[in-house]
This record gives sequence, structure tokens and C-alpha cells, in this order.
Amino acid sequence: MENEPVTSTKPGGDERSPILSVRGISKRFGGVQALADVSLDLYPGEVHCLAGENGCGKSTLIKVISGAETPDSGKIVVDGVGHSQMNTTSAIESGIQVIYQDFSLFPSLTVAENIVLTSAVAVQKKFYSATAAAARARAIVDELQLDLDLDAEVGTLSVANKQLTAICRALVSDARVIFMDEPTTALTHTEVKRLFELVDKLRDRGVSMVFVSHKLSEILQVSQQVTIMRSGKVVTSGPVEEFDTRSIARHMTGRDIEDVRIVSDLPDEAPVQLEVEGLTLKGAYWDVNFNVKKGEIIGVTGLLGSGRTEIAESLFGLLTPDHGQVRVEGERVQLASIADSVSAGIGYVPEDRLTQGLFLEKSIADNIIAGSLNQHRSKWRTLDFRKVKATISRLFEELRIKAPNVKAPVRTLSGGNAQRVVLAKWLATNPKVLILNGPTVGVDVGSKEQILELLREQAGQGMAIIVISDDEPELVSCCHRVLVVTKGRITDELVGDDVSVERIQESMAA
Amino acid sequence: MSDSSFKDANNRLDSAVRGVIERAQANRSMLRMVLVFVAAFALFAFLNPRVFLGSLNLQNIMVASPEIGVIAIAMMLSMLTGGIDLSLVSIANLSAITMSTMFTAMVTGSGEFNEAMAVPVLLVGILVGVGCGLLNGVLIGIVGITPILATLGTMQILNGVAIVWTGGSTLYGAPATFTTFGKLAIGPVPMLFAVFIVAAILIAFLVNSTTLGRKIELQGANPVAARFSGIRSKAVLIGSYAVGGALGGLAGFLFLARNPTASADYGASYVLLVIVIAVLGGTNPNGGFASVAGVVIATLTLQVVSSGFTAMRLSSYQYAIAQGVILVAVMVIDAINWRKFRNKRPAPMAATGK
Repeated sequence: MENEPVTSTKPGGDERSPILSVRGISKRFGGVQALADVSLDLYPGEVHCLAGENGCGKSTLIKVISGAETPDSGKIVVDGVGHSQMNTTSAIESGIQVIYQDFSLFPSLTVAENIVLTSAVAVQKKFYSATAAAARARAIVDELQLDLDLDAEVGTLSVANKQLTAICRALVSDARVIFMDEPTTALTHTEVKRLFELVDKLRDRGVSMVFVSHKLSEILQVSQQVTIMRSGKVVTSGPVEEFDTRSIARHMTGRDIEDVRIVSDLPDEAPVQLEVEGLTLKGAYWDVNFNVKKGEIIGVTGLLGSGRTEIAESLFGLLTPDHGQVRVEGERVQLASIADSVSAGIGYVPEDRLTQGLFLEKSIADNIIAGSLNQHRSKWRTLDFRKVKATISRLFEELRIKAPNVKAPVRTLSGGNAQRVVLAKWLATNPKVLILNGPTVGVDVGSKEQILELLREQAGQGMAIIVISDDEPELVSCCHRVLVVTKGRITDELVGDDVSVERIQESMAA
Repeated sequence: MSDSSFKDANNRLDSAVRGVIERAQANRSMLRMVLVFVAAFALFAFLNPRVFLGSLNLQNIMVASPEIGVIAIAMMLSMLTGGIDLSLVSIANLSAITMSTMFTAMVTGSGEFNEAMAVPVLLVGILVGVGCGLLNGVLIGIVGITPILATLGTMQILNGVAIVWTGGSTLYGAPATFTTFGKLAIGPVPMLFAVFIVAAILIAFLVNSTTLGRKIELQGANPVAARFSGIRSKAVLIGSYAVGGALGGLAGFLFLARNPTASADYGASYVLLVIVIAVLGGTNPNGGFASVAGVVIATLTLQVVSSGFTAMRLSSYQYAIAQGVILVAVMVIDAINWRKFRNKRPAPMAATGK
């Protein structure tokens, strides 16, 4: 490792010298140029937003900086000292911390243990004292004025609290640069607000933060600097004032993305495909009534914990409601098991795509056919391979899944393509009702529009679709109607021109 | 033959060859096992050709491997669901004891009657296996006990029942048809080996071409996603352990056909041996991936090594060492390949990862 002092080019003395600079980093994987001459400066007390579509090289860049990957060329400058490469230990010692989407916490340990243990391991402490640990954890939690139960098991925490735990853990190791991968995806509006307040406190401590994000409005809200990457290159970089959502989207995708509302005209006499009547599950939701017509897309929104996910999970047979009825095409559905709902023609694209939706190690083909095996039987009750093959290649092409072939394991796909595979799995079952929970979470801007277009196409062919989402522009873009769930009850129904980002936000805040 | 039809045939041959190559590449663990098998066979054929290549030895390999192989396939099936079945050998013994006792109780002077009883006795033996398998399936699928603990429990129970029943002694007595069957051969291929191959083909068909088989694979690959895909996990688990139990019952028949005695402690060393075989055959112990052909080849490989050691006058302890060495060696080869694979081709992951 070569070390040499590098003088800051920026004027303003120590105040404005970057904690971490990346200079001309390139990295090649086989035939793919993952990073090409990427440079980046991170200053103390600043939030830097790293934006770009899936596969643009953001995660490779983070891996290079955190020492998980070795760059082919270029330099990483920490506190004025240049390194040709980092390793994971030296990165942590220099105060560089990465908080990944899964937070890498130990679910069976307490919050205090999670906060303190990794740093204790990092400095190779041989003994562990519970009381000393608790004190250190307490100090950091108090300093940030967080409402976090130190003795709770991490596995029982909400996503937001897990994230806070991960942030505290990073600070205990004296983090000066914190990378956060999609920090707001799984958070509700209130939790996002709380996170941003915390971010402000961290800025006051002089911590430099890098947000990796898809959400354009949040990028503008929280960051001071924006760097946008595309195909392994930095396309543009500058203070946040120079950007708006439209220009960020354009830099990310290389084309103009229109924020439009495209919904089909539903004939008044369109038959009702799904009826929900008086559905109640005590402690989760009460007296839920709504229906979805053939060809209609309805949105369901509400804060996390409002009961919207529970309603969907009940329709899918995961949770059994206390009372109430659900009918698909007029026929009553037994809500006793998932298999019952599936055979009644209800499909569900879950929120947690990676564990609930996909068989990661299995091929695309196996995933597509996983939900409809019984529908692909020959008269001898064995699999009809010709039918199976036809379904797989039809959906592979129809959904434009980007992969060398259907034998590729799903693990190798990007978020948008993986979501298409989950969709394909349900389309193969020919569902009458398709429920999607967070259909475009972790999906980049370009893929997102294509997935919404797919939903419109499916509705056009007579499917009834329910989209559960936090993302108002997405709801506005494709939903005929939007139901707002508050504290387990449907409190508002927005129709026609009322379906707008402002109206949805107002209704949720009410 | 016209020019075009010649071209047509040529194309068809080409695509067939390509298909075989593709499948071989997809099935790397299978290919690897075939290589080990050929290497082991060649080694012993070279070291002691007179004894090892003698028809007696080759016959012996084919007579000794079926009982182990059938249990190994059952083990593979439980591993495919992401579980394990430690009770298989106990199931086989209990089935053998049941068949032997049943036959002894019914034996009469008339040889014709005895012969007629062979098939019902066999069916009862297999039903005993299915029953035990169902018990495993209920404990694992419905009660939700971890497979290794559930089958450890049933292994102890079934073993205990067998010992109490027999008083710990060896039972003599099996339908003469069984033993005659055990000595039959189609040309050079012993009947027992044919049974093994037929069982392997049936299970391969089950895994690849039936919905139950595919569901077993998916259940093993990701139980949560399987449930979220509308797969009835309980039924799938019960079904797969029941089929495993049936194979255990069949193994009991193979025990009796090879040697007309039954005892509670027969084949005690098989319990771990079949796990070794299943894993060598390319079964992923985490579930979701397995190959019946791989397990068949792995069974034969270990049997070749075993009789090769006998031909070389080496002890069974040295054979035990060899088993361990083969397992570790194959796992090491796998690990090295994986790392190479990761270094060479992380491109799709890095390029698509967020």
C-alpha cells in the first residue's frame, strides 16, 4: 500500500478539506466496466447523495471504498493520505462505515450488544463486560436523544429501530463517513422524518454521510451534494440546488421520464371481480369494505402499521380474519390458507421480494413456474413439459426480463428484473385478482415505469389489481382509485381527479 | 437420401450433442462424480486386475450396492426438502423384521402357499416403511420439529421397538422367493441391482416430472417463498418423507433377499454412509438441489472403493479413512471451483447490484 500526502485543492483551509476523496477509480469485471474513472469528495458535516439506476456501479464504488473490492486503478485519499486500495479493517479504522439494507445485525442479541459488540471485536477485545457495554450503548443513544430500548432483542424491532441500532453501532466505532444503502425504503413517513432529524444531528457532529437512494424527492430534501452515476461513470455532480427531480431522473436514465397519470376508461357496467365485506381482524383492521372491478387498478396506502399489509395478507390467506367475507367473481373464498386463495385466483407479490417472493438459487424458469405447477399437468398428472416451456418463454419475453437465458439463477438479477420474475410467477397462474405490496421498492426509475405499464396491460386484459404503496407518484400514475387506510380502517377513497400526490398526502395526514 | 434430409439429420445430431454438453455443464457435480468413479475403478483395476476385475468381484459390487443405494436415494429425498432422515436404516430393519416374523408365523408345509405369500409380505414390509415415513412427515411437517431431531427420535423409537420385538436376537426366515430372487440375474446383472436402478428411475421421474417432485425442490430451496407461492408445505413434507419411508421398506426387502436374516442392528454403519453418498452425489444439504443419477454413481463409487480395498487386502478401517478422504476431497474441489467461479464472473452481480 502506498502512502503519500495529497494536498487539498479546495481553498478554505482545514474546514473544507475532504475526509475522504476518491480519485479516478476504475474497476473491470470480465467484460464489464463497472467503474470508469470515478471521482468523489466527501466533506465533514455534509450529506452526499449517490444516485443512479441499478447496475450503474454505486454498490461497486461503495465496496471499493469499504475495502470489499480492489480497484484496478485510482486512489482513495483518507485525511490527505492516499491509498491504492483499502481493506475492510483499515476502512473501519479510518472511520468508514457502511450500513447495508439488511443492516447486518444479530437478531438474537440485544440492541446494546449489537451496538457495542462489533467494535469490541474490531479492536480484538478478548473479554466482554455486559455492564460496560450497556454504558457505552446508553451513552450513544442518549447523546442522539433516541427512543431505543437497549435491552430489546433486535429481531423483535421494527425496521426503523433496527436502522437506528445500525447507526449507533457505526458511531460507537467512531464513524466519520457513513454510507447508507437505500436508508428510507422500508420506513414510513414519520420514520423518515425522524431519520432526517437524526441525520441533521450527525451533521453537527461533523460526520459525512452518503445516501444511496432511488427516491428523488428525498434526495433533494436531505442532501447537500448530489452525484449521479450511469454505466459506471459519474454523469454529473454538484450542490443540490442545481437539481430538481426531473433533471435527476434524466441524468439517471439518460432520457426524459414523464410523470404522468395513465389510467384506462372503465365502463360503468364492468363487473365486480373482488368484493370485500365487513372484513375484521381484531388488533389489525376493522370493518373493511371495498370492491375492485374487472380491469381496475386500485391503490391502497397508509402509514406503515396502519393495517394495509394485514388486509392484503388476509386476502391472500396468510392471516385469518375474525369475520367478514371475500368473494372473487361472486364466489366466496375460504381464507384458511394461501393455497386456498391461490386456487381462488388471488395472487400476491409480497413486500419482501428476496425471502418471500423468490427462490434465489433457482433458475428464472423454476421461479416462473413455481406457483402454477398444478395448472401444468398432463392427463397422467405428470408435468406437461411442452406447456411448461411455452409458459416460461412466453412470460420471459412478455415481461422483458433481462437475462442471458431462463436458466440463469434469479440471484444474479437486478431488483427490477427480479420483481418481473415474481410478477411472471403470478401471471403464470392466470390470477383474477393480483395484489402487489410495494411493487417498485428497490426498483430503479426506468424499470419502475415499465412495471407500472405491465400492470396497466394486465388490467387491460381483465385482471383486478390492488397496489399497496407508499410511493404517491406511483399510485397517481396507475391507479383508478386510491383507498387510504388509517389505524385499521378505510378512512378515505380518492376517485378521478382527486387522485393526486397532494390529495393523498393530505388524506393520510388527516 | 436427399441432401436436405441429410442436413436435417446433421442438425438434429448437432443439437442433441449440444444438449448433452449443456446438461453435463449444468450438472457439474454429476460429472465430477463420474470422474471419481472412473478414476477409482481404473486405479483398482490397475493395482490388482486379477481379483478386482474378476466376475465374482464385479457381481459382488452390484449385489452389495442396492441396499445402500436405495437408502441413499431416500436420504437424498429428505435432504432435497432441506431436511435429513436419520431413521431410514431403522425403518429398513423394522420392515425386514416384520416381513421375517410374518413369514415365520404363516409358514406351512405347502411350498406353493409360501411362494404365494411373497408378494403380500413384501407389500406389508413396504407399508411399514410408509407408515414410519408418515410419522416422520407428521412430526416435521405438522408439528414442526426440526428434521434432524424428529428423525433422531423416530430412529431411537423404531430401533428400540425392533430390539424389544426380537429380544435383540437375529431372526432367521424369509420367503424362499425372496432369497431366490436375490440370486437371480438378468445376464450379468443381478436382479437386486435391477431393482435399485428401477427405484432410481422412479424417484428421478418423481423429482423431475411430477408436481410433487418440483414442489419438494422448491420447498427445500426456500420454504417461505414456497408457502407464498401457494405450495402446501405440510403435504409436500409428509409426501416426501412417506416416499422416503417406502424406499426404507424396500431396503428392508433387499436386506432379506441378500441374506435371509433380520436383526435390529443390521447396517448400523449405513446411517452416516448414506449421508456421505447423498452429498457426494451432488445433493445440497441446505435443500433444493439434488441428482438421483449423482447418488447412484456415488453409491457405486464407494462400493468400488470398498471392494477395491478388499481386493488389496486392506481393512474396513482403512476403508473408513478412504470414505472420509473422498468426502473431504470432493468438498475441497467444490470449494475451490466456487471461488474461481466467483472471481471470474462476479460481473453480472456487480453490474446489476444496487
